[in-house]
Amino acid sequence: MTFIFESGYTFWNPLIWIIVFLVVAIIVYFFRRRGQKGYKKDTDQARIFLCGEEVPEAEERHIRVGNIYWGFFETLKEYYKQILRVHTGIINDYILWFVAVTVVSAIILVIAGLAK
Amino acid sequence: MAALITHSPILIIAIPLVAAFLTPLIGMASRKARNTLVIVSLAFVVFLVFALARDISINGIHVYTLGATSPGQTIPTGFMVPVRIILEVDGMSVFFGIIWAIVSLAAAIYSLSHIASETGQTRFYTLLLLMVTGGFGMMFTGDLFNLFVFLEIASISGGALIAYRTKYADTLEGGFKYIVVSAIAGLMVLFATGILYAQYDSLNIATLAQVIQYTTLDKIALALLLIAFAMKTGMVPLHLWFPDAYSVAPASITGMLVITSHACMYAAFRVCFTLYGGVIDAPVVGWIIITFGLLTMFVGVTMAVFQKDVMRFMSYHAISQLGYMWVGVGVGLAVLGNTELLATYGRDAMSGGIFHILNHAMYKPLLFFTGGALFHYTGTRDLTKMGGLAHKMKWTTILYIIGTLSISGIPPLNGFSSKILIYESVYQFHPILTVTGIIVSILTLASFTKAFHSAFMGAELPEYKKVKEVPKSMIIGMVILAAGIVFITLFPSLIVNWAIHPAADALIDQGAYINAVMGAVP
Amino acid sequence: MEHIAHNFPFIASALLMGIAFYIILFKKNLIKLIMGIGMLSSGVNLFIVALGYRTGGNAPIYTDVPPGPMVLSVPQALTLTSIVINVAVLALMLTMVIHTYRHTGTLDSEKSRRLKG
Repeated sequence: MTFIFESGYTFWNPLIWIIVFLVVAIIVYFFRRRGQKGYKKDTDQARIFLCGEEVPEAEERHIRVGNIYWGFFETLKEYYKQILRVHTGIINDYILWFVAVTVVSAIILVIAGLAK
Repeated sequence: MAALITHSPILIIAIPLVAAFLTPLIGMASRKARNTLVIVSLAFVVFLVFALARDISINGIHVYTLGATSPGQTIPTGFMVPVRIILEVDGMSVFFGIIWAIVSLAAAIYSLSHIASETGQTRFYTLLLLMVTGGFGMMFTGDLFNLFVFLEIASISGGALIAYRTKYADTLEGGFKYIVVSAIAGLMVLFATGILYAQYDSLNIATLAQVIQYTTLDKIALALLLIAFAMKTGMVPLHLWFPDAYSVAPASITGMLVITSHACMYAAFRVCFTLYGGVIDAPVVGWIIITFGLLTMFVGVTMAVFQKDVMRFMSYHAISQLGYMWVGVGVGLAVLGNTELLATYGRDAMSGGIFHILNHAMYKPLLFFTGGALFHYTGTRDLTKMGGLAHKMKWTTILYIIGTLSISGIPPLNGFSSKILIYESVYQFHPILTVTGIIVSILTLASFTKAFHSAFMGAELPEYKKVKEVPKSMIIGMVILAAGIVFITLFPSLIVNWAIHPAADALIDQGAYINAVMGAVP
Repeated sequence: MEHIAHNFPFIASALLMGIAFYIILFKKNLIKLIMGIGMLSSGVNLFIVALGYRTGGNAPIYTDVPPGPMVLSVPQALTLTSIVINVAVLALMLTMVIHTYRHTGTLDSEKSRRLKG
């Protein structure tokens, strides 16, 4: 029952990681303890403050999935255009890929055999 | 007890089969008795698989001949070759068997309340148990034709289960695509079996491995077998059916389908390493597998970042994770003939790939189960409509976080230990493999963070005010898998020494597999 | 010429499989696609059954057998199993297509699809 994990070059021990996480958790808890004592739940203190502006409703506040990583998709627009063309969703195309890949790999194997 | 272990290979296949056909009978009497039957039979199978694994670690490969006077008598007196159906269980088979037993038990427990509101539950459990039978058959069989038969049993029951909720149009489409793809892949496997039978007059893998010549016909059969099984596992560019089928199935079935795809991966490895092991053109086949593996990793993850449907998003991640296993084991295959390189990094790469299969089999069904839990209460798979669910579904949130950290390879969770094993060993083969692996890992974390934010974080949305935590049996199903993750996290070296290295060695050592059936070569 | 006559079953099975793949790849009607899969399975079955024949061999039926060698019955057993499996697969596919038609009102593989990307 050893925790140590060695594999040629790697050495690591999950116990060390868990101890590190515990230490971090204790530090976080320590900072949390130093927070305001006068805080009261379910009063105006717990309300969101947005520079005095009116706070939007919950469903308008939530950042939906379509808006996340916008820049990433904008940069890779061409790649996604090409890759989505492959994903047609038509069953005939799925089988076409299968036939094509099988034929190509069979040819590669046979030619590699001939080359020897 | 000794007799139980001797007969355990066939019992592991037969018990779910018998239970499958008892289920409708007992289901007529009472619902509770039926559920008990399903759970008890699967729990007994888990026990048998572990007993068999212990036996194999002590006594080596376990051979079971059906219909012989003693199970060890593989070749009848007066014959030169085996004519009976033979089950052959080695370290690799039983490794997959353990995964399949645990995940199917967890999935059955999860199903108890996940499909509680559906009609035709008895048929659901019958098909689920048939699928378990098919999976075990594929892993334990020692001959090519039975591999085809069990592949088809698993595919037919899997296809029917995907289309189980017939009230939605998309489930039928997903099920139809799955069954068409499976039927064609299965027929190509049968065709390749026919080609091999025509030349060597045998169906037994060990017998074939002894006499195989690697003629042109054999090469074509290898391509057919390899690509047919690769299509069933969802290798890019043959992955197109994969998200369609996986996203629409009930979540418990999706979790099990992940393992049937691993079973097809096992069959592909078995064909490459054992059936063709002595004669295969290892660098060429290895590079084919590595190239497709890299494509699988990259295309899978980039498509996943893009998805808005929670189950589809996880299916694309399943594809991308399969790439790690192909690359790891592909590197092992590429250096198979070279003993020195195999010892330096080939065996480690294979161990990494196989270890990743175990880890993936724990965290991916867990993630699918959490996705099913989201669907169970919100009634939608669309991430754009979700938000703030962590307020109500605390257990699901915690389990999702465990799965996410594990799949992205964040230390100290188990996904990291297998990824580091792959990275450091394939780096010596070609650095680009490791670089791609790390990029894919980063994108995995990024996309899971995105899904986590949009489903669980944020303020409580008004439409989900009434959402409750999911029922107990679903939590238990998920906790079983999460416990597996924690166990592997805490004892990585234990798992590697007891399960992973024997499995990798079983693949490399083709001679032992042949000798177990054919007897020592004179 | 004799060569062709000898290999006639194999040529027939290759033709069947070729036509089947043509149907599966290029016909958008789902029922036709299922017919293609049925033909593909017939082609594979014919291939395996043809393997079981040896020139001058007798059918492996033990009652009233003429003298001479008997063919091994393994390919016949394989074909029988494979036919049964394919019946199940085709029945399941047809069931799904009927349900799909009820939901979408079309049998075209392009128009009836809901899942893509």
